[in-house]
Amino acid sequence: MPGAGKRQRLTLRIAAIPMGLLALSCLYPIFFAVNNALKTRHDYMLDRFGLATQPTLDNFVQAWTRAHLDEYFLNSVIATLGAVILLMVVSSMAGFALASLRFPYRRFLFAVILSSLMIPVQVVLVPFMRTMLALNLVNTHIGLILSYTAFFLPFSVYMMTAFYSGLPRELIEAARIDGASLLQVWWHVMLPLGTPALVTLAILNTLSCWNDILISLLVMQKHRTLMVGISALKGQYSDQIPLFTAGIVIAAAPIVVLYILFQRRIVSGIAVGAVKG
Amino acid sequence: MLFLLPAILLVLVFRIFPLFWGFGISLTSATSTDPGQFIGAGNYLRALDDPNFRSAMANAVVVLLSVPIFVTIPMLLAILIHQGVPGRTFFRSVYFFPAILSSVIIGSIFSVVLSFNGNLNALLGIAGISGVDWLGHSATALPVTLAIQCWSTFGMGVLIFLAGLSTVSKEMVEAARLDGAKMWQIWWHVIIPELRPIIEFSTVITTIGLLTSMFGLIYVLTGGGPGTATTVPEYLIWAAQGKLNRPAYAAAVSMVLFFMTSILAWLQIRILSRNANI
Repeated sequence: MPGAGKRQRLTLRIAAIPMGLLALSCLYPIFFAVNNALKTRHDYMLDRFGLATQPTLDNFVQAWTRAHLDEYFLNSVIATLGAVILLMVVSSMAGFALASLRFPYRRFLFAVILSSLMIPVQVVLVPFMRTMLALNLVNTHIGLILSYTAFFLPFSVYMMTAFYSGLPRELIEAARIDGASLLQVWWHVMLPLGTPALVTLAILNTLSCWNDILISLLVMQKHRTLMVGISALKGQYSDQIPLFTAGIVIAAAPIVVLYILFQRRIVSGIAVGAVKG
Repeated sequence: MLFLLPAILLVLVFRIFPLFWGFGISLTSATSTDPGQFIGAGNYLRALDDPNFRSAMANAVVVLLSVPIFVTIPMLLAILIHQGVPGRTFFRSVYFFPAILSSVIIGSIFSVVLSFNGNLNALLGIAGISGVDWLGHSATALPVTLAIQCWSTFGMGVLIFLAGLSTVSKEMVEAARLDGAKMWQIWWHVIIPELRPIIEFSTVITTIGLLTSMFGLIYVLTGGGPGTATTVPEYLIWAAQGKLNRPAYAAAVSMVLFFMTSILAWLQIRILSRNANI
């Protein structure tokens, strides 16, 4: 604040010291993981705090091949990509219908979708598993994709409905007069116009799907996702910390890259999400 | 209407229908292979006698008691950032970083750092302090887990409070300052009262979040233990369904958790709609 008093400025300067330490603590875990992943097991035993003086990529190779992270990584990519695309399509369609079309029980259906926000996966865990078994979806990528979509859908629908409500209705009417079917209006008009909201949704849903453990632990018992694989790695290689931290780095890398590229979008998207989440 | 069908179908099949089905299961003696019989409130009564359920509820109380810490720390940090602490843009972006990482990743890193022969104890050893089995000791396991949860999510809270602070009238703060109010007086009498809606909102979503999003951290860090020291309701549901093969019992605990989160969600809706009317 400009023009703040002298004492206030001094207080703020003093406050900056613990705040700076807190900021360092936020960055340290990633440094810790990368630094130790670059050490050999022997080097780690000798000096667990020092910098990796003779960095080796051997742990990454080992984690990727011997610990099957390559396979888990692929499973996570398939599930995340599939769910994010499905979430964008389904929530854009639903948002278009709820914001722009008039049909009976519109408000009621919107309320039904939003109220399911109050049903977290833990609350329906038993019947959810039975549904998955009955539909033969356990241990399938499709099953995981559908589960992610179902559990991350309400907020996405809410956001697309809010976004589309802000668009002028004349856009749709003009396209309708030109003879476009509703499907054409959605595909050629609404989907492209929704891009800004859809990109934000894609980023936020990528974070949620990639980071998930509970749903993937339930659905993918045979074909592990990366997070399930990493949590199992801990038991398997508990005496091989450098290998374990290499696995952590592999699992965190896509999210860290996403954060660096889209920090602004993530922050503003989550702020919107928090206020109506 | 057809455009809405996929969304409605997904929500019905995976969430709303299972909610009612789960209530049905909770009234039976079902196992994973046997549909069981109707036993009414049997599972609920059994829960009252079950030491696992009791400690899960006791742990839930500890978790809920820690909510003020989860709300106050981000609020204080956000006010300091808002008032122009040096380095604020850096703090803003870095504080948020742990919040985007998976609880599995956070948990994995802390399990290395906090294990009995881990790095924290090694560091304490250098200083001549004997180590503590942070996660293996029933007195420290839950507080340590909560501290990690707090550390990994406070950036989110800072974000919410900064959004709230942008609506606090600058004129009022300035007027108070010209009247000779000290910094803490301005905080106490001007800023914090203005933030009341955000404080209420943040309290409710933090509480719901703590009841439904600590699974990953607990799964990786402690597996609910030692004993039942870090078993919270959501973890008990998972363990009863899978490890213990008591799905009907798990369904009953689920209903208890749903009851708890529903009350909070109802509060959240009330707060949101009241704030919208201001």
